[in-house]
Amino acid sequence: MTMSHAVISCLHANLAACEAVLADIDQQGIDTITCLGDLVGYGPQPNEVIELIRERSIPTCQGCWDEDIIDGLNACECSYPSQLAERRGHRAHHWAAERITENNKAFLASLPMTLRRDRLLFVHGSPNSQHEYLLPDMNAFAALERVETAGAETLFCGHTHQPYVRELSEGSIRVSVQKNGNHSDSEQEMTLPMRRIVNAGSVGEPRHGSTKATYVVHDDDSGAVSVREVEYDVSKTCRAIIEAGLPEVFAWRLSHGFEYAERAEDASHVCER
Amino acid sequence: MERWALVSGLRGDLDLYEQIQSDLQKRRGTAHLFVLGDMIGPHPKCDALLKRLRQPKRGDLYPHCIYGWLEEQLLSLHGYRGEAKAEECQLQSGDSGVQQLRQAVDTEHLNWLASLQFGLIELDCGLIHGSSADVADELQETTSPLILLDRLTRLDVNRLFTARSGRQFRLQLTGGQIRSKVKDHANEQLHEQPVPKRSVIGVGSGANYTLYDPASDHIEFLSVASRSGSSNKGKGFLR
Repeated sequence: MTMSHAVISCLHANLAACEAVLADIDQQGIDTITCLGDLVGYGPQPNEVIELIRERSIPTCQGCWDEDIIDGLNACECSYPSQLAERRGHRAHHWAAERITENNKAFLASLPMTLRRDRLLFVHGSPNSQHEYLLPDMNAFAALERVETAGAETLFCGHTHQPYVRELSEGSIRVSVQKNGNHSDSEQEMTLPMRRIVNAGSVGEPRHGSTKATYVVHDDDSGAVSVREVEYDVSKTCRAIIEAGLPEVFAWRLSHGFEYAERAEDASHVCER
Repeated sequence: MERWALVSGLRGDLDLYEQIQSDLQKRRGTAHLFVLGDMIGPHPKCDALLKRLRQPKRGDLYPHCIYGWLEEQLLSLHGYRGEAKAEECQLQSGDSGVQQLRQAVDTEHLNWLASLQFGLIELDCGLIHGSSADVADELQETTSPLILLDRLTRLDVNRLFTARSGRQFRLQLTGGQIRSKVKDHANEQLHEQPVPKRSVIGVGSGANYTLYDPASDHIEFLSVASRSGSSNKGKGFLR
């Protein structure tokens, strides 16, 4: 029997989406699930989503929103595309921080930065930081460096809310080295290993051009990865966002499935605290 | 175009600094002096060197300084960074090392040290103590080219001058490529990316320094004879 493994990310306090995705995973008979964090933020049901993950004992790593709830907003905020977006983000942060129970905060604080299964590595943003975006068009050598330096063959990440599978292969780098005292340069060539980055997209706040929740399924035997899209009751969560007094643009974004005409100028920036 | 002199790891040694200044006077066409950190160290003349760097003597080539790993540790100790602990220094040198570093620098210099930049971009070159990833990053000619390329990419520079390893080398990326296949819910894209022709240059430390001519891209690794053997003082300390 083939062993499959589901990877979910960026749940963002959207209970309806989480329930639909978990039901879809159950329906396929998959019982190994890994979560890449961001259980909270943007959405109206942070406690409910945390408790669902806890009840199901799903191994989870800490996302940037989870970290900010525990440590406070001490990231440099440079990944926000505008001051307006930053103010909205802060408002949502304070809303969630006031409502998440102490017990659930302790759970968020206990989450590890990374999870590892053999040569599979699971992170929220990148192995360097929960705040770093590994976008699909990131410099291929830099992307490979993130996977290789972390000692992984396949890196599972989230954070961008856009699912993709990126295969980096047939790489090599030739170098010439000149050292003090040596008059002739030495030439070397390094063959780069084949590595993959799998972005699980977002369960609770998709931004890939569709309102459907996304996650990925990894076949542990063949290594094949499939991106799955799941329909859920989007309007239910949108109504709950507005009723909760959260910024209405979060409901707008959820009902359109893409970023609200904004994009960070330097999405690859690694936040230094 | 005039040449750059790149110096690091003076570690409080004013004699050594004077020797380098004197060596530079003899070499025509050197217009800019960059001091890539680790100006301080467990040296009794640390204050004298810092005063000289801050207020150069007439005839000195003006030093453009950035901070290094030792300054980072000292600033941490004094609460300028994080939680008033120099954890890496503590790990490497224990209580006595931390104490030595604290005593080596008069507090009157702290604000100046804290005002120094992490790195400089001049033309298409990045000048940094460690690397674009971390002031503690030790880049050498044996470091994986993939990591070196990443550090160049982070700064988007063609040449990265680094000092932390103390080694003098020039590693040029001369060729290669990588294939990237991205599949999302709608499309599949194939892309081949060539290795850009870029270099990482280790400028050396202490008595070993580097001259660089940006017009010709020529590198010269130099060394001044150490009068007092002071360039070796503290060797092994805090590294």
